[in-house]
Amino acid sequence: MFEDRPDLVDRIVTHLRRPVQIDPALDGRVMQEIAQVDTGRRSGAAVAAWRWLTRPRQFAVSPLGALATAAGLAAVVWALPGRGVRAVPPAENAPQEFQFVVVAPRAARVALVGDFNDWDATRTPMRPSQRGGPVWTAVLHLSPGRYRYAFLVDGSRWLADPAAPHARDDEFGAPSSVVTVGGS
Amino acid sequence: MTAPSGDTRPPVERVTRPPDAGRSDGTAPSVGIPKVGTSDGELVRRVLAGDTGAYAMLVARYRDRLGRYAVHMLGDRQDAEEALQDAFVRAHRSLARCDDPERFGAWLYGILVNRCRTTGGRAARRARLFVRDDAALSGAPLPGPAERAEWDDTVRWALGQLAPEYREAFLLKHVEDLEYEEMAQLTGAGISALKMRVKRAREQLQIIFREAERV
Repeated sequence: MFEDRPDLVDRIVTHLRRPVQIDPALDGRVMQEIAQVDTGRRSGAAVAAWRWLTRPRQFAVSPLGALATAAGLAAVVWALPGRGVRAVPPAENAPQEFQFVVVAPRAARVALVGDFNDWDATRTPMRPSQRGGPVWTAVLHLSPGRYRYAFLVDGSRWLADPAAPHARDDEFGAPSSVVTVGGS
Repeated sequence: MTAPSGDTRPPVERVTRPPDAGRSDGTAPSVGIPKVGTSDGELVRRVLAGDTGAYAMLVARYRDRLGRYAVHMLGDRQDAEEALQDAFVRAHRSLARCDDPERFGAWLYGILVNRCRTTGGRAARRARLFVRDDAALSGAPLPGPAERAEWDDTVRWALGQLAPEYREAFLLKHVEDLEYEEMAQLTGAGISALKMRVKRAREQLQIIFREAERV
């Protein structure tokens, strides 16, 4: 016959309810995997859009419809103001907005340093997303180009960004990453 | 202001949209997670608006809490972290389908329970590759106290003896302190079946420990 021993079960439960600490590096791995998935999804959408735009199509137009379309286009071109002036292409060197994010749970201060601020730790301090929170962010407007950067934690600890390529031409002896803005 | 410099975690993410500065205090219950600062709902809305960094805050908030269930359920820290990471990534991918962002934790819990089932099944198959003589194993003596010097090892070993569905029900009820209605939502099992599983798990644990004490 089964003899119930609730004290034993209680002891097991008490033991199992103790907090379990998971390696905080898991956060970085999760966010890195998400970043890779997002990048793949975005590039997948771009490829699909390009294929849709470049796919050849056949249209059936009656002679009368073709004449009417041609006449309409001619009228539009003739009526355009400043006819003959070439359209100004969009600014190729327009800065793009980038947000940099780092998880540093017990850091007192974090700075973003890189080629874009002459590696000056005072110029781009990162802000915690909430007071005492682990996530630090900084937003920069970067012109097209290739930039090396790193995160400087508490003024002494250098961190590269695992979600970005690491710089090979590292001449400082500290880890750094590379971000490429625009098509250059 | 000083802080140890060796306790930082690696940088994680770069996105192209600044975070929303708005905050609100959470009030809705969410699987035992105390709400401090920005609510789950607010963070979920920020992630859906493109602020990927806000998701890192959700990951940090739920990592240890859900990790405890995964570690106990799978009995292996590496498997647990794998299931946990998988759950977080899948939750992010399906975040738009989270009907009640204030109960993100409960929703995430359901995903983790499923991932633990998958990972547990894979681990069991992996174990069978190494253990082929089931008959010999069934007659093998239980590990003695000398081999199980630590209570922690003993509990982990005993949990591992339970059938996965019993272990799952026991952990959700007694360790994670869920109501049977919540357990039914998470597991898809009926309430009466869950009650039976918890009862059997309690009985089997006691039998396992009693047998171990005799050795």
